[in-house]
Amino acid sequence: MKNRRVIPLIVGCVLLLIFLLAALFPGMFTEYGQKEMFAPWIKPSAGHLLGTNALGHDIFTELVYGTRETLFIGTVSSVLTLILGTAIGTLAAGRGVIAGLFNGLINVFVMLPKLITLIVLASFLGNSVWNLIGLISAFSWVGIARNVRAKVISLNEETFIENCVIQGYSRGHIVFYHIIPNLYDVLISRFLLGVNSCIMMESTLSFLGFGDLYYPTWGTMINFAYKRGAFLRQAYGYLLTPGVCIMLLSLAFYFISLYIESRKETISEM
Amino acid sequence: MGKDKEKRIVSKSIKSYVKNIGVALVCFLIVVVLNFVLPRLLPGNPIAYLTGMAEEDMTSAQYEYYYHALHLNENWFIQFIYYLKSLLDGSLGYSFKKEMVVSAMILERLGYTLQITLPAVVLSTGIGLFWGLHCGYKKDSRIDRISTTALIIFNTVPVFLIGLVLMILFCFKNRWFPYTGLNSTGVQAGTFAYFLDRLHHLVLPVVTLTVTTVPSRYLLMRNTARKIADEKYILYAKTRGLSDYKIKFGYVLKNIAQPFITMVGMSVSICVGGSLVIENIFSINGMGKLLTEAVYSLDYPLMQGILFVTTLIMVISIVITDVICMLIDPKVRMGEKDEK
Repeated sequence: MKNRRVIPLIVGCVLLLIFLLAALFPGMFTEYGQKEMFAPWIKPSAGHLLGTNALGHDIFTELVYGTRETLFIGTVSSVLTLILGTAIGTLAAGRGVIAGLFNGLINVFVMLPKLITLIVLASFLGNSVWNLIGLISAFSWVGIARNVRAKVISLNEETFIENCVIQGYSRGHIVFYHIIPNLYDVLISRFLLGVNSCIMMESTLSFLGFGDLYYPTWGTMINFAYKRGAFLRQAYGYLLTPGVCIMLLSLAFYFISLYIESRKETISEM
Repeated sequence: MGKDKEKRIVSKSIKSYVKNIGVALVCFLIVVVLNFVLPRLLPGNPIAYLTGMAEEDMTSAQYEYYYHALHLNENWFIQFIYYLKSLLDGSLGYSFKKEMVVSAMILERLGYTLQITLPAVVLSTGIGLFWGLHCGYKKDSRIDRISTTALIIFNTVPVFLIGLVLMILFCFKNRWFPYTGLNSTGVQAGTFAYFLDRLHHLVLPVVTLTVTTVPSRYLLMRNTARKIADEKYILYAKTRGLSDYKIKFGYVLKNIAQPFITMVGMSVSICVGGSLVIENIFSINGMGKLLTEAVYSLDYPLMQGILFVTTLIMVISIVITDVICMLIDPKVRMGEKDEK
């Protein structure tokens, strides 16, 4: 049982490490600059692993530099999502009018047609990286808020919280010092899965043409490839590799979260 | 005493359905208000947002005309009444860019989108149900482990990657399926050949949408079925020597019927969202394509109309599934009998 969880963990960590290195030190992976020009549409060769695109940029270099943008948007919006979700989930867990209001908010956001609302809002607000991050996090906190709410409700029943109430601590003190620290196991696994869904959302939006064109992410790359006729040039590598990268990155996060989940189970079994 | 308690349970379960429908309606209202408020609240002239034209490009006569045509001279409340009126009479506003009524454009395209989404919803929920039911019931068997791992990995694949891979394999490497549009040119509309041609065009988009939505449907059904397979009445049914087939469809299926129906309702809206990407890949003139066209030409009234229609579809599907859940729920059904 133990071995079966460790192998995915190692695979996940190695994948994540590679992507992190590519994000932090893109120069390690490619000798070309981001905007260095060659002849357009060179076929894949030893010099250009994936060939070059319509503008003559090396595709592999573009891919490596895209890692940073993709990871950046994914993690930042996931962190924002986490903060929003924790705050709203905790607020919705109590009793009374405010909690009811936030609970209603959660229920409404579960049902909203996410992608289409996002697209309409994105086109109203304009597409910059920060708008994208804000919008993505504004629409993906629901899952976290629901989990946090359930956990806080179950924590409220615990004796140590009861003890705190008897000791006369204020509700704010209890929430910040006793409830939120106990949410960490929910939050860690949700964070890792949250990065996945944020990256997925970002790449879908970029694929549809809402990305920031100056800092192309993987989704933007596929959008470019598709629009500039990579099909006709048979540059299938150009079309597929960014998608494969998204998949590998998601898998890396998923494997790590799987390990954390299984550890949690063994701890609670003890 | 016992009867009293029963009644309370009944009214509680009805209440939860009614609450669900209520939330869907509130959600709908929020979208309506959002649609109205957004162009008026954002920095910049609302005229630019409502017509989709830049303020500088308009002559003052044009400006005046739009100013009055959009009722911007009235106060917000009257404007909102005008907006509601446009929703109620079914026109959903007027696109000044294309000089057409929004609802007419959407209606023209909606049919194409539904031709992709409805088969995909049926296929993906069907496959998800039977496969998930089987694997949840036979939990931890080899087939369960293999298919669950495979589908979890599949779940991380973005929609467009699946679409592009299928397209490269079946349209470019082997020319089995057409890669664009819903009909080839030169086929007479209304004939049987036209119908077959349409089916031929629909295969790849529907398969793509099904493949992308099956994993999450499967996982949901499997996890629900798995929990039920632990129940004592399943164990009892097994010791009575009932066949697997009977237990699966007579006992487990009945108990997962409710989450399944709710899931079908939710998949409608998920599939409408998913078809957006697929229509762009396969160049199908459905609603998704209309939305991207609207976005590129900054046709805000059209965008809002599309958002309104998709929310409407979603709310309708949720209300229908909730009513079905209510009708098949034995707690509600038996309770009604009791009162008679």
